[in-house]
Amino acid sequence: MITSIAWKNVWRNRTRSLTVIAAVTVGVFAGVFAMAAINSSIVQRIDAAVNEELSHIQVNNPGFRGSCDIANVIADPEKVGSVLEETPGVTHVTARIIVRGIASTSAGSAGVEITGIDVEKEQQMFAVKQRLIPGTGSYFGTDTRLNSAFIGEKLAKELYIIRYILTEESFTTLEAEDVPEEVVGKLRPLENQRFTTEKKLSEACSGLLTEKEVKTYGMKIKEAAWSYREGSKVILTFLDANGTQTGAAFRISGIFRTNNDFFEAFSVFVPRDELLRLTGMEEGQYHRIIARLEDDDLTDNASASVKEALPGLEVMNWKQIQTDLAMIADYINQIYGIFMVLILAALAFGIVNTMLMAVLERTRELGMLSAIGMNRRRVFSMIMLESIFLSIVGGFAGMAVSAIVIAITNHTGINLVKYSEGLEAFGYSAHLYPTIGADFFIMLTVMIVITGIVSAIYPARKALQLNPVEALRGE
Amino acid sequence: MKVVEINDVFKTYHDTEVEVKAVNGVTLSFERGDFAVIVGPSGSGKTTLLNLIGGLDQPTAGEIIVAGHRLSELKPSELIDFRMEHVGFVFQSYNLIPVLTASENVGFIMSLQKWPKEKRIARTDEMLQSVGLADRHKSRPAQLSGGQQQRVAVARALAPRPEFILADEPTANLDTKSAETLLDIMEKLNREEEMTFIFSTHDARVVKRARRVITLEDGKVVSDERTNHNS
Repeated sequence: MITSIAWKNVWRNRTRSLTVIAAVTVGVFAGVFAMAAINSSIVQRIDAAVNEELSHIQVNNPGFRGSCDIANVIADPEKVGSVLEETPGVTHVTARIIVRGIASTSAGSAGVEITGIDVEKEQQMFAVKQRLIPGTGSYFGTDTRLNSAFIGEKLAKELYIIRYILTEESFTTLEAEDVPEEVVGKLRPLENQRFTTEKKLSEACSGLLTEKEVKTYGMKIKEAAWSYREGSKVILTFLDANGTQTGAAFRISGIFRTNNDFFEAFSVFVPRDELLRLTGMEEGQYHRIIARLEDDDLTDNASASVKEALPGLEVMNWKQIQTDLAMIADYINQIYGIFMVLILAALAFGIVNTMLMAVLERTRELGMLSAIGMNRRRVFSMIMLESIFLSIVGGFAGMAVSAIVIAITNHTGINLVKYSEGLEAFGYSAHLYPTIGADFFIMLTVMIVITGIVSAIYPARKALQLNPVEALRGE
Repeated sequence: MKVVEINDVFKTYHDTEVEVKAVNGVTLSFERGDFAVIVGPSGSGKTTLLNLIGGLDQPTAGEIIVAGHRLSELKPSELIDFRMEHVGFVFQSYNLIPVLTASENVGFIMSLQKWPKEKRIARTDEMLQSVGLADRHKSRPAQLSGGQQQRVAVARALAPRPEFILADEPTANLDTKSAETLLDIMEKLNREEEMTFIFSTHDARVVKRARRVITLEDGKVVSDERTNHNS
């Protein structure tokens, strides 16, 4: 009966209750959606780090990571392989050869890390293949000849393998992407001119277009002008097992695009056998053995158990390799809590105000309830329940709106291309796909109920302080 | 059988520097089945005396015993339970719970007393029938006239079978017809359920029906007369 009265009391003054509920709805939505957006950025970054760059567990010769010396190979790779394969949760294991060197073309050069990979296994473990830019190759496909390399877009730009040319095809593409004919017409004088960098293309466009047109269509123009010459070559130079400088020309078998500029600029993947041959290393010698787990949550336990089984080697999981990422993930979790507490605390003041008005308006009724035998505990519960109902209705509405908007934006994405340079320099995507776990909604529900309870304390105490005789005499 | 015993009761208020004796040495008792009114001019202490009998207020001195309970010995929380178990209140302004239907209002105290649902529903129906509002059981107070609301209030007070009913100016806001109907119902319930009614009133219509008239002046009982009126 008390619950029923409390619920009905919530709707006595519909306008007032709906105003508070709307405030709670908007507050909860703002908090949840903001966190989902921030969370997506971290989740996407971690996902990329694990799926494209690091995997879950890496085992190295203890001296290798610091020196990158070709001689620092893993002493007993077979044992390492079997330990990893027997570790619960491990789904894939592969071994890499890694050398530092220089990548160069006739137009430019850059320092790189050349990784010799088992192409078949790496395809199963990593998603880099999915990052292949269409039209740039086939990621070590069957048509690939010997000495092939898979490189990042950033490195390709530094080596001037990628250029920008506005061809007739580019103009057709721009028109298909709703760039006004007038703008396309202004760009005609640049037809078939080659620009070696994005910057040079932008400068040329700025001379022909207005500032607003550059801002609006600049990205589409760059994409339309993006040009790659199939079959381009790159010279990779490095020290072999004897410390002698060696190298070879590698045909580009594909260019990948990720959200991590550093990874794109520094990584060159080549078939392991080719690198083994060129370095003069012996068959079965590896610098790094990598394991993939079926679930991210197994990382800590699995890496600890591998570490225990391989005492003489350096065993690290992705959190230990990219400590900043792990720290940000933890930090964001804490920020979640603080952020929501602040939002709910602000909303609590609104609820206190509403409940206090409700109590003061109902002085006579509360006096009557006390007179006819409704004890303090029941009066307190009634006010408490009213407050909780207000919070929960608003909270659930806010969570429902958040869930819908998150589902939509998770599908469509949020485009932050304007900030892509800055974001990708730190490895973060310029396209956010908001996401948040079910556990967060459970935690939020608990927090909303607590808000309702805390908000009710003062008004409920006021109700308890009423003297029935005075309250009945009131009004 | 005595339902209420009031022994030399005083209630003094301190209004700034003035001491006001609202009830000044009252000794009374009420028997089961009484249909008594307390009359007197405004400020004579009628409502204060009713509040003391109902356990809404505590006397400054003296003793009130209701159904074997010495009210001065009860803690505030025990007084609330005492009121719920033993006293039925009918107020001048009806004081129904606006968000509940007539039926829910009548059943409210019984639900506080944790009556089994079937018994509670049966008693609620019986009481609404008694006050002639069986067909309005789903109406909310705002949908009822003043007289109908007061009849629901009477049904609510009587439903849990308290020791007695305290009615403070129950007809003050009612027109003649509604007041007469209400008094008819109260008389009938007094007769059929042997329920004790104690009224505080100025209303001659109530006094005319009473079988006992107690007159207060300046907090003192100046007369206590049993009438020949036979309901």
